[in-house]
Amino acid sequence: MSRLFAAAPRHRLDKLWPWLCAASVALSLLMLSALLTLLLVRGLGHFWPATLEEITLRSGSVVAGQAIRETPLPQEAGVERLYFKGNRDVDGVSWHWVDIDDITSRTTPHDLIRLERAPWGSFIGRLAAVETDQQSLHGHEAWDYLNNALTLPANQRPPGQLLLVTAQGETLRQPLDSVSQALAPNAMSWWQKTHTWGTNVWQFLSEGPRAANTSGGVWPAIFGTVLMVILMSVIVTPFGVLAAIYLNEIAHQNRLTRLVRIGVRNLAGVPSIVYGVFGLGVFVYGIGGTLDSWFFSDTLPSPTFGTGGLLWASLTLALLTLPVVIVATEEGLARIPDAQREGAVALGATRLEMLTRIVLPMATPAMLTGVILAIARAAGEVAPLMLVGVAKLAPQMPVDGEFPYVHLERKFMHLGYHLFDTAFHGEDVQAAMPLVYATALLLVVIILVLNLTAIFLRHYFRRQRGSEC
Amino acid sequence: MTPSRVPASYQPLRQFKNRVATGLITAGGIAVLLAILAIGVFLFWETLPLLALDKTFAFDKLSPLVWGTLKAALAAMLFALPIALGAAMYSALFMSARLRSRIKPTLEMMEAMPGVVVGFIAGLVLAPWVERNLASTLVLLVWLPISAGLAGVLWHMASSHWHRRLPFSWAGLWLVPWLVGMVALAVWLTPLLEQLFLGGDLRRWLEQRWGMDYATRNALIVGIAMGFAVIPSIYSLAEDALADVPLSMMEGAQALGASRWQALWKVALPAAGPGIFSAVMIGMGRAVGETMIVLMASGNTALLSASPFEGMRSMASAIAIELPEASPGGFTYHHLILAALVLFLFTFLVNTLAEAVRLRMRRRYHKAGHY
Amino acid sequence: MKCMGLSSGKKNRLRFTLATVLMLFASAAWGQPQPVSGTLSAIGSDTMAGLILRWGEALAVRYPEINLQFQATGSASVPPALTAGTARLGPMSRPMNDQERQAFIDRYGYPPLELRVARDALILVVHRHNPLRAITRQQADAIFSTGQACGAEKPIRRWSELAATREWPYGNIALHGRNLASGTYGLFQTEVLCDGQFRPDISEHPGSSAVVAAVGESPNAMGYAGYNHLTPMVHALRLVTAEGEEIAPSEQAVQRNEYPLSRDLYLYVNLPPGELLPAAEQAFLAFILSEEGQQIARAAGFVPLPDDELTNQQRW
Repeated sequence: MSRLFAAAPRHRLDKLWPWLCAASVALSLLMLSALLTLLLVRGLGHFWPATLEEITLRSGSVVAGQAIRETPLPQEAGVERLYFKGNRDVDGVSWHWVDIDDITSRTTPHDLIRLERAPWGSFIGRLAAVETDQQSLHGHEAWDYLNNALTLPANQRPPGQLLLVTAQGETLRQPLDSVSQALAPNAMSWWQKTHTWGTNVWQFLSEGPRAANTSGGVWPAIFGTVLMVILMSVIVTPFGVLAAIYLNEIAHQNRLTRLVRIGVRNLAGVPSIVYGVFGLGVFVYGIGGTLDSWFFSDTLPSPTFGTGGLLWASLTLALLTLPVVIVATEEGLARIPDAQREGAVALGATRLEMLTRIVLPMATPAMLTGVILAIARAAGEVAPLMLVGVAKLAPQMPVDGEFPYVHLERKFMHLGYHLFDTAFHGEDVQAAMPLVYATALLLVVIILVLNLTAIFLRHYFRRQRGSEC
Repeated sequence: MTPSRVPASYQPLRQFKNRVATGLITAGGIAVLLAILAIGVFLFWETLPLLALDKTFAFDKLSPLVWGTLKAALAAMLFALPIALGAAMYSALFMSARLRSRIKPTLEMMEAMPGVVVGFIAGLVLAPWVERNLASTLVLLVWLPISAGLAGVLWHMASSHWHRRLPFSWAGLWLVPWLVGMVALAVWLTPLLEQLFLGGDLRRWLEQRWGMDYATRNALIVGIAMGFAVIPSIYSLAEDALADVPLSMMEGAQALGASRWQALWKVALPAAGPGIFSAVMIGMGRAVGETMIVLMASGNTALLSASPFEGMRSMASAIAIELPEASPGGFTYHHLILAALVLFLFTFLVNTLAEAVRLRMRRRYHKAGHY
Repeated sequence: MKCMGLSSGKKNRLRFTLATVLMLFASAAWGQPQPVSGTLSAIGSDTMAGLILRWGEALAVRYPEINLQFQATGSASVPPALTAGTARLGPMSRPMNDQERQAFIDRYGYPPLELRVARDALILVVHRHNPLRAITRQQADAIFSTGQACGAEKPIRRWSELAATREWPYGNIALHGRNLASGTYGLFQTEVLCDGQFRPDISEHPGSSAVVAAVGESPNAMGYAGYNHLTPMVHALRLVTAEGEEIAPSEQAVQRNEYPLSRDLYLYVNLPPGELLPAAEQAFLAFILSEEGQQIARAAGFVPLPDDELTNQQRW
């Protein structure tokens, strides 16, 4: 050894390599934080009531809208800006690209308003009047009347219509009951904006999607994700623990057990899509199809269990996370000193008593960690779900007041799939982008919280046991 | 581990309960293990009908997918390996213990980042940006390592006052702002360089000079995105392997006159070699099976091309897109299940290899009395 | 010693197992839908997803008890889904071909009910700054196919071959399209490629909006998508007819079938002849063929059926 090092000259570069290693850590941290910052800023920024601009172009036309982003022109020098101008019912498009050099004036008038309506989406322009059966209101009165009416649910509002004027001067009439939100962001104080931001975030979390997933919230997706994960853990916990106990406590420890153990461990590395294929072939087509032909033949050809659904998705994910739970529980079981078991047996306990009173309680933290890790993995999986039962839109929740309250055969919405779907299948990616960011942020937050819980629990229990057992 | 003799019990009920429970656990355990086994059996069974068909046909359709899968995985490994291993070496051997206890869980948390989120960012944010700033991206790939070295040179030239304030053992953290500055510098300067040397447009130059096509969603993007996704698993396992190397071995080497880096390179790395190998294998397994990132960032072009600027289609993404539409029993259905079987076997083998190597290493240290 | 104190949860685990098993049974026994549960289950065209969902939303306002479950997996998934019985409603962005129809008839003994529900068009899109404005169908075939089944002499790979005088965009045309399962893919193949083969280097995206987004980011790209996915990031090319006339994919041109790549959107229903549909399905069909339903189709970016066609369809 000594000759080896004496012969090797201390190379100058030896001092630099560690810096490259340090930079790797820094780069990983940088990428992670860049990703999280991007999600945070875009995801939360969307709910902030954006300033509406009114710009006059060199051609003389006037555009009112929200500035979205700027890109350099591909061929010549210069920058163009994208405006969201709404009003699709007026001229068929809701976006406008403007060459910045073409803008002659740019103002933010306080009377510009933004309405959300069905089915045509946003309106950006001015409120000229509110016409009801008895009266016609203008100016502030009209605005106050509108805001009062909006506090009522759509079907209880007094009949009436809004007289709206776009920036170009076209007028249109909008029935009062088709409007869901009205804002005058330029006239709002910082505090009002914060309030609106809070309301918007809450709506995003608590409402269902609207207008074919291009607006509205993600509540059904949150609910579907959580319900599926709960079902999955209910399935995976007993089976995973059972298998671990069998492997560690009951089976003879020989070559076969070792092989099985390696096999189980490796299954954790098998791609999730393979589990999805299995779920589709065996659960949906195999078991589901058979169940249908036995019990639900009267509703055929409409399938009940023979199509993807909550139950099959949970089962597939349970299978997927089974190795995680088995491995974690086994680790916990292996950590328990044999003396504990021998002591129990020596005192006359049967194996069952030894297991339930001594071994399992001591392995509980490990099981818990395993289950939480399984949950964290399952919550982020999308690929297998695309095969076994996730839906683009399932307004009918899998849990409702209808007997038997939990409908395991129903399709469900999932945050991850919702994200994929809005980003790649939606009508207008540009419009859906902010919602995609918000959904991504939500998914990441949920998963991070689950993981943190797992790390915390593991840490806590290890320390506790480390000092006392 | 299992007590070999259960003492005779005087209560038949307890004994009975015990027997029943043991039987149930055994049955349950075996059932679970069989269910897991069923995955392999099912995949084999469902690909059997393909044998009846002309063999070459199935393989013709599969080969671009296999190629795409390997290309994507390779691109990811090229990006991830240097970063993950470098980070592992730094955090196992150079980083301050306090920082390490924070950084390691943070990087491990990266692993939990869902593929669908990474894929979305890669496909809809990163890909367009890279397309607009291709030159900057390529320059960054070279410039970032150089700038790290530069930081080292500057640090060694600086006074000991700075060494105390910015110790090397914390460099993993305080290099972050430095790198941000360097990225900004490169992104700002590259267009000027491009103007000077390449006539203002790298893509046109590539196209005219080398006839290279550029697809928006390509191996480069997939490599970065999937690399990002596999860094944490490689890092975490490799770091464990390095940290498990007995300290006495490193100290011995240093006592014999080796620098810390030499000790790491000549002693710690060979000792942790099997562990690092298994980390790489497991990372490879993840990269091969990752679905959503490839689906969203690769363009899904079934091409047999080696160009880093062209897309590919992987087996996993082909399954995800096409299987729901394939009618059960049809050719596409069996063909996609064959793809799933290939994935299954490949990852299973890779993981078994990794596990076997890891177990052997563990036993070796066990013998040396260090583990 | 505290570790021993953790033993409280043991019985719960047994209960968990029991509960799971019970739930499995329960759902099998009780999960059967009520006679008029009002659940519509549809699988089908990704192109029509937005439309179907908006119809579902609007219908839910009128009949709160009617719910729609929709899985957008592509038109090609409709025939197997209807035949295998995994759905009863199958929106398709192309008509069923004979083979698919025959498979359905073989299983049930009657053909599926075919309804036209709106009009759509295939558009060819390029980056919004791309100077190219119009294209012939033969050129499109030469760009996207390998064999030029429509009769073009040689494939077109480069922008300079499309318009030799223009300096920009340069290089190869980056192609974007849909994946095999989508009806858009199939329709483009029959209509534009004359049933020829697609080039292998087309990026196949899992959704039309992804195609448009990709084209909108890259000045030298061209792609095809459904009419309703047109965004300001791209512009749609006019098609040159055999008479040399350039026709833009406008609403009128599509409705009057003047734009050559116009198409009907279909809804296939598994309806045994002589039987009545369940109430929910019936309400759904009546709604989408109403004036209001057609306006919603317009809001979703499609083209309503012409009036005579609409009355024709209402008579199913």
